[in-house]
Amino acid sequence: MKIKRILIANRGEIAVRIMKTARMMNIETVAVKTAVEPNAMYLSSADVIYDNTKNISEIPVFLDIEKLIAIALKTNANAVHPGYGFLAENAYFAQKCIDNKIIFIGPSPDAIYKMGNKTIARKIALSGGIPMAMGSEGNISNEEEAVVIAEKIGYPVIIKASSGGGGRGMRIVRKSEEMEKMFIIASKEAEKAFNDPLVFIEKYIENPKHIEFQILGDTKGNVIHLGERECSIQRKHQKLLEEAPSCALDEKLRKTMGTMAVQIAKAVNYHSAGTVEFLLDSDKNFYFMEMNTRIQVEHPVTEIITGIDLIEQQIRIANDEELKYRQEDIKLKGWAIECRINAEDVQAGFAPDPGKIENLSMPSGPCIRVDTGVQAGSSIVTSYDSMIAKLIVKGRNRKEAIKNCKMALDKVWIKGTKTTLPFFRMLVRHQKFLDGNFTTAFIEKDLDKYYFNSEYEEMLAAWLATKLFVEENLNDDSINIDFKHGKDMSPWLLNKRINQF
Amino acid sequence: MANEILQIKKLYALSSENRKFNFSLPLKHTIRIGKRNYEVKLKSDEKYGTYILWKNRKYPVEIISSRQNKYEILFNDISYTFTVETPFSLQRMKVLNSKKGKVEKEFIKAPMPGKIIDVLVREGSTVLLGEPLVILEAMKMQNEILSPVNGVIVKVSAKANTNVMKDDLLVEIKL
Repeated sequence: MKIKRILIANRGEIAVRIMKTARMMNIETVAVKTAVEPNAMYLSSADVIYDNTKNISEIPVFLDIEKLIAIALKTNANAVHPGYGFLAENAYFAQKCIDNKIIFIGPSPDAIYKMGNKTIARKIALSGGIPMAMGSEGNISNEEEAVVIAEKIGYPVIIKASSGGGGRGMRIVRKSEEMEKMFIIASKEAEKAFNDPLVFIEKYIENPKHIEFQILGDTKGNVIHLGERECSIQRKHQKLLEEAPSCALDEKLRKTMGTMAVQIAKAVNYHSAGTVEFLLDSDKNFYFMEMNTRIQVEHPVTEIITGIDLIEQQIRIANDEELKYRQEDIKLKGWAIECRINAEDVQAGFAPDPGKIENLSMPSGPCIRVDTGVQAGSSIVTSYDSMIAKLIVKGRNRKEAIKNCKMALDKVWIKGTKTTLPFFRMLVRHQKFLDGNFTTAFIEKDLDKYYFNSEYEEMLAAWLATKLFVEENLNDDSINIDFKHGKDMSPWLLNKRINQF
Repeated sequence: MANEILQIKKLYALSSENRKFNFSLPLKHTIRIGKRNYEVKLKSDEKYGTYILWKNRKYPVEIISSRQNKYEILFNDISYTFTVETPFSLQRMKVLNSKKGKVEKEFIKAPMPGKIIDVLVREGSTVLLGEPLVILEAMKMQNEILSPVNGVIVKVSAKANTNVMKDDLLVEIKL
């Protein structure tokens, strides 16, 4: 193994995840300690900690290419794993690593660039005969052109940022009157978010399923797929629950889509792990959307049904090893579901709810896997995403996986911030979800309530409120109210009082 | 306050969705479901923090806020707001509510701390229910703050590229 020591250019659960596999492979790891999270859990998994807490730069170190290269060189790391987010899909970073003789655990800068630029990716897919939603040939230069092209394609259309990804910088347009305004907003947003105002237009597929294929390619030209993941449970293009496989695919469709995904990867000489995303409409027509040139948040569900450690494969491929699996070796076994437990307030439209995790207890068992970067005492900080943990549950089939998931959700215990748990508790009881009858519009269209509570829970909460009122306002021996004590009391004091009885 | 004036026998917890829960005093540590009484225990320990034990299951609880008789409680990760009323205050509230005039202005506040990315309305512009007013970025997510009403913008406090705290006023809409 050429790779001796890996710098993890990331934090949180994915840093912990990568280090776990590295340790298993007897490879050392370097983690970066930041001023924002000096006591983060991922630091305890590393062999070497680089202390960057004195650095008071505006941009996070995980986005600072020069700094990361310097850290890798200083700590004698001969490889870098970027994880997801941050610089994971930055071609310049990958090139900088190579220039400094550091192995970048991921695809080539060329593949990252081509797939990262959505108009180039479209052209590649188009020339390969991959089915795609009708769209503009390239970028659209102004709102007049946008109107003309949208008329040709037919409304509704979606405006997307050429350099975009991860669901950001998109606008759906349903009428030509809205086009001018939406075009300007989308372009402005794209410039702010991706430093590139260029946008293009595609036919908007109504109510599709989001189906993505996991790809593995080596540096010898072998590319295989590891089946699909269904990620239709999403809100504002942010995935909340993923499963593998998808109940919308049969063996034949899986083979067709998988072959197309492999073909796209081959067109850019792809190596490492990657994901080809498709939209699947209600008539089972599928359309290429984009390719993500990184490890995905939801990779564990694929690992569970294939038994293949994707991080290990990424490291081996970066080490120039040949894939030991051929397509016919890949057998999908069982069913896996991942719930993203985020610090978000479901009742307030999934608004982030950062804060300190006071207590945390996750279930364990043969059908449960938990990937997390936080523990009791950790804080969910506003500088990063709101992920607390990924709860991954398996079963022999979908029904069993959902049943196991339902039980596991009741055993998760998180105090200190609001979480997406009530949402998942609702989801695993929702008939449409149970039937597999849902699309990316599910959360917006099919739900009247975003959370589940049993009929007694509200009553118990009411009892507690009444109990507090009694404690604050009534004397113990009599039941007379003292309205003069109708005061503002800090929740901290109240909690202390509760603890006394 | 004289003892004989207020002999309270009952309390009502009114939810924000106007559901009413009755509790007789002195408050019992049991809740009756059908013909059986189930014991409710409020407990706290190092590992779990504060919780309610009911029917052999632990439920996490937290008091988010408490102002006079109004309580926001997080029970099993879901928040509930109750006002606890006595029979007298309940009666008074009913009278007050029937006299209360209609709301004329809607104050749009930041639902979370973050950075204003864009302000999509100006003073004087007409907005419709569901129309985006402000784009607020928080924790890597861009959130559109939508108008909850039809009306006219009378004040815009939000400025692009500035940071806001939770509950900072963004926009005022006249109905």
